[in-house]
Amino acid sequence: MSTEEQIAQFRESYAALRAEVGKVIVGHEAIVDGTLTALMAGGHVLLEGVPGLGKTLLVRTLGEVLDLSFSRIQFTPDLMPADIVGTNLVMETPEGRRVFEFQRGPVFAHLVLADEINRATPKTQSALLEAMQEHSVTAGGEMRRLEEPFFVLATQNPIDQEGTYPLPEAQLDRFFFKLLVGYPSADELTEVLNRTTETARAQVNRVLSRERMISLQQLVRQVPVASHVKDYAVRLVLATHPKTTTAAPIASQFLRFGSSPRGAQTLILAGKVRALAQGRFNVSFDDLRSAALPALRHRLILNFEAEAEGVTTDHIVEQILKDVPKDAEALEAQSA
Amino acid sequence: MSDLQLIESTVDRAAQRRRWQRAWRGLWRGLLAAALVWLAALGAYKALPLPVTVLPAAAVAAGIVVLLSVLFHAWRRDTRLATARWIDHRQALKERLSTALELGRDAASGPWHALLVQDAARQLGRFDLRTLLPYRLPRASRWALLVLALGATLGFVPEYRSKAFLQKERDKEVIRETGRQLADLTRRSLEHRKPALENTREAIKSVGELGTDMMKNPLTRAEALKDLAKITDKVQQDARELTKSPALKAMERAARSSSANSPADADELKKQIDALQQSLGNKDARADALDKLQRDLQKAQQAAANLMNKDAQGVDAAKDSLAKTLSSLAKQSQEMGAALPALEEAIAALEAGKIDQLMKDLQIAEKDLERMREMAQALQQLQQQAEKLGKDLAEQLKNGQVEAAQTTLDKMVKQLQAANLTPEQLQKIMNDVAKATEQAGPYGKVGDLLKQAVSQLGKSDKPGAAKSLAEASKELENLMQQMADAQDLKASLDALKRAQFCVGNGMGWCNSPGPPRGGKGGKPGKGVGTWADDNNWMDPPENELWDNSGVERPDTDPRGHTDRGDGNVPEGLVPTKVKGRMSPGGQMPSITLKGVSIKGQSTVSFQETATAAQSEAQSAQSHDQVPRAYQGAVKDYFDDVKK
Repeated sequence: MSTEEQIAQFRESYAALRAEVGKVIVGHEAIVDGTLTALMAGGHVLLEGVPGLGKTLLVRTLGEVLDLSFSRIQFTPDLMPADIVGTNLVMETPEGRRVFEFQRGPVFAHLVLADEINRATPKTQSALLEAMQEHSVTAGGEMRRLEEPFFVLATQNPIDQEGTYPLPEAQLDRFFFKLLVGYPSADELTEVLNRTTETARAQVNRVLSRERMISLQQLVRQVPVASHVKDYAVRLVLATHPKTTTAAPIASQFLRFGSSPRGAQTLILAGKVRALAQGRFNVSFDDLRSAALPALRHRLILNFEAEAEGVTTDHIVEQILKDVPKDAEALEAQSA
Repeated sequence: MSDLQLIESTVDRAAQRRRWQRAWRGLWRGLLAAALVWLAALGAYKALPLPVTVLPAAAVAAGIVVLLSVLFHAWRRDTRLATARWIDHRQALKERLSTALELGRDAASGPWHALLVQDAARQLGRFDLRTLLPYRLPRASRWALLVLALGATLGFVPEYRSKAFLQKERDKEVIRETGRQLADLTRRSLEHRKPALENTREAIKSVGELGTDMMKNPLTRAEALKDLAKITDKVQQDARELTKSPALKAMERAARSSSANSPADADELKKQIDALQQSLGNKDARADALDKLQRDLQKAQQAAANLMNKDAQGVDAAKDSLAKTLSSLAKQSQEMGAALPALEEAIAALEAGKIDQLMKDLQIAEKDLERMREMAQALQQLQQQAEKLGKDLAEQLKNGQVEAAQTTLDKMVKQLQAANLTPEQLQKIMNDVAKATEQAGPYGKVGDLLKQAVSQLGKSDKPGAAKSLAEASKELENLMQQMADAQDLKASLDALKRAQFCVGNGMGWCNSPGPPRGGKGGKPGKGVGTWADDNNWMDPPENELWDNSGVERPDTDPRGHTDRGDGNVPEGLVPTKVKGRMSPGGQMPSITLKGVSIKGQSTVSFQETATAAQSEAQSAQSHDQVPRAYQGAVKDYFDDVKK
C-alpha cells in the first residue's frame, strides 16, 4: 500500500472512529478529538471532570469501537498495586503440588480504563508508572511485556474534591494529554437525555482492528516536520522553564517547574496526527498550537503565587502561546 | 519545470519583489526622515540666529539620510526559506511552502517529499504575487509629503533675527573686510619696499598679522577695536621713536615743501630747464606775456570771423585793421622767441582774401601758442624748483635735501678719486665740505665724517677724504632709508586709523573716507593755513543712510541723579575755572598768564618752532585734550602762528 493510500486510510479510520464514538457521546468534540489524537499517537489520556460528565462512557465506548481488549480499574483508596498489575498466587497443581503462579492484573489489556485514578493512594497510582512508560510490568522479580497497543485512559475528579490524592508529577508527565471535560450545553444535554432516558440504545461497531491501529500509529510517526516547526515546539516548551533566558515572563512569575521534553514530543506527535486528520502532509504551527493546552497543562507545576492568585496552567499556556512568536524569522522578515 | 522548481522560482520572484518593496519603503521612510531633518534645520534657522550654512548642511544630511535609508532597506536579501515562511504566514498555507522547500529534496523523507511538493505546488495557484506584494505608496509617504509641504511653507516665513544679532553680523563682516584690507595693504607695502629697520619690519608685519587674524576670526567690535588700538599705539610709538631724529625732521620738512617728482639733482634739473628753453627758442618767453598774446590772437580770430558779415567797403577796412593786428602779433611773437609760422600763413591768406584759410591758420596758431604757454609755465616751475634746490652741499643739508646732498657727495668722491684734480678744485671741495659741516650737525655721524674729510683734505689725503665722504654718503643713504621706514609706518598708521574708523562706525573700507588726500605727495588738503584737520575724516558722515540701531551704548542709558557716580572724565576734559561764556563760534574767553621771560637768542629757527607747535596742537586735538568747543579756535590760532 502506498503512503498516499495509507494516509487516505488514516483519514477514513479517524473519521469512522469519530463517527462511532459520536453515536454515544454527545458533544465534547474536543475531548473526543483529543482522545483519538492521543490514541493515534500512542499516548495515554487523563480526563478530568466532575462526576457524571461521560468520561467513563467515552472510554468504554472507545473500548467497544476499537477491536482491542479492554479492562476497567476502579481506583479506590484501598486499592493495592497488586490489584492492578497482578500478583503471584500459590496454586495447587493437578498432581497436588503447590506452585507460585502469576495472576495477571487488569493492566494486561490493550485499553485500560483507570477510573477515578486520583481516589487511590499515590502508592497505588504509581503502579501504573512502568506500564505507561515502558509498556511492561515487573512483578515478583519478573518483567512482563504488555501487548501493543497499550493505552491508559484515566479519569479523575478535580483534586479539590473530598477523598482524592493528587497524581505525582512523574505520573502526570506520562499522560500524553490531559483533557478537561466540561459541562454540556443545553442542546447537548437535551440530546443526552434523549439518548439515555429512552429505550433506544445506540449500537456501535468495531471499526479498527489492533493491526490497523499499530500501522496507523507507525504512519503518524512518518509525517515529516520542517525544522522551523520543530523549533517552534522547542521554543514553546523552553518558554515554560521558569527563571531561564528563554522563559516567558509569566512562566518565571507563576511556575515552579516547566514542561519536560515529553511536552515537546507530545506537541509534535499531536501535530502530526492533526495534520494527517486534516489531509495535510506536513505539520503546521497551528497544529502545535491546538495541541499545546492538553499537552502542557498537566506538565506545568504552579508556584505558591499562582496558587494564591488562582492562576491556572491553562492561563499560563495561553499566555505563552501569545508571547512566543510562531516563526521568528518570518515575522522578522515581515516587519522589515 | 518540476513542481519543486516552480515553487523555488515563485519564491525567488517573491523575494526579489520584497526586496524592491523594502527599498521603496526605505526611500519613503528616508524621505520622511530627511524632510524632518530639513524641517528641523529650517525651523531652527528661522527662529535662531544660525548661519545660513546650516541649510546646505541640512540638505546634504537629508540627502545622505535618504540614500542610507534606501541602502539599509535594500541591503538585506531574504533567503528562499525565509521568504517561503513569510508567504506561508501571509497566505495561511499552513507551512506547506516552507516545508516543501526544506524537505522537498530530502531523500530521507521517502515518498513524503513528493507529496509535500505536490501539495505545495497546488497552493501556488491560490495567490498572485502582484496582489500579495503590490507596489503602492507606503504610509510614510503621506507623512513625508506633509512634512515637505510644511517645509516649503516654512520657507516663505521670514527668519527672525534680533537687531543686536544683525548688528553683530554687520560688525563681523566689517571687521572681516577691514582685516582683509589691512592684510592686503601691508602685504603690498612689504612687497613694494622691505623696511630697512627690524623694528619697522616687525611693526608692519604685526599690522598684517592683525589684519589676517581679523579676517579669519572676526572678533566682536570691542575686541577688534581694542586690538587695533593696541597695534596702533605700538606703531605710533615706533614711528615717534623713528622721527625723533632731527635729521629726519629736517628731511620730512624738505619732503613736505618739495614736490614728489621734482628731480633731486641740480644737474638733472638744469638739463630739463635747458631742454625747455631750447624748445621755446632760447628766449625769455614768459607765460603771462604768452597769455596776453593768446588773448590778442583770440580777438583777431573774432575779427576774422566778423569779416564774413560785413559789406565790401567794411570788409576792406576790417581786413586792413586785421592785417595790422596780425603783423603786430607776429612781430611780438618773434620778439618773444615764439615763432608762429601759422600766423605768417594767416597774413598771407588774408592778403589773398581766403577767409576760411585765415580762420584755420589762426586756430593752428592759437594751438601752437597754447602749447608754448604751457611749456613756459613748466619752465617757470622748474626754475622755481631750481631756485629752491640747494646750490652746494651746505644748502642741501640745511634744506634737508638729502638725496641732492648724497649726489653731491658722490660727485666729490669721484672727483677726489680722479687723477686730474686741480688744486683749485680740491680747495673748492674742501671749502664746500667745511661749509657743510656746520649744517650736518643734525645728521648724526655725517657731521663728524665731513669734519674728518676736511681734515684729511687739509693734509691732501685724497683717498682718506674720499672714503670719509663716501661714508657720509652712505650715512645719508641710511637716513633716507629710515625716512622711508617712517613713511611706511605712517602709511600703516593711516591704515590702522582707517580700520579703527571702519570698525568703530560699522562702515566698509570703501565707504570710509580715509585720510585726506588734498594734493600730490600726501600733502594736507584744503584748510586754513598749511595744515588741515587730519582727524576730521574719522568722524562719520551724517547722512540719512547712517543707522546706529543695535549699537549698545550703556553709558548713554538714562540714569537718575543719584546713580551717576563720580563719572570718569578724561584728563584733558577736566573743567577749569574759566570766566566767560563758552559758545562755539563765539568770542573765545581768555585769561592772561604771566610766564617767565627768558631773554637770549634762540638757536632754533622760527619755522621749526612753528611746526613743532603746530604738531603738538594737532596731537592735543586728536587726543581729545582740547575741549571740542575750543578746537576751531585753537586751530585758527596755530594757523596764524604759521603765517
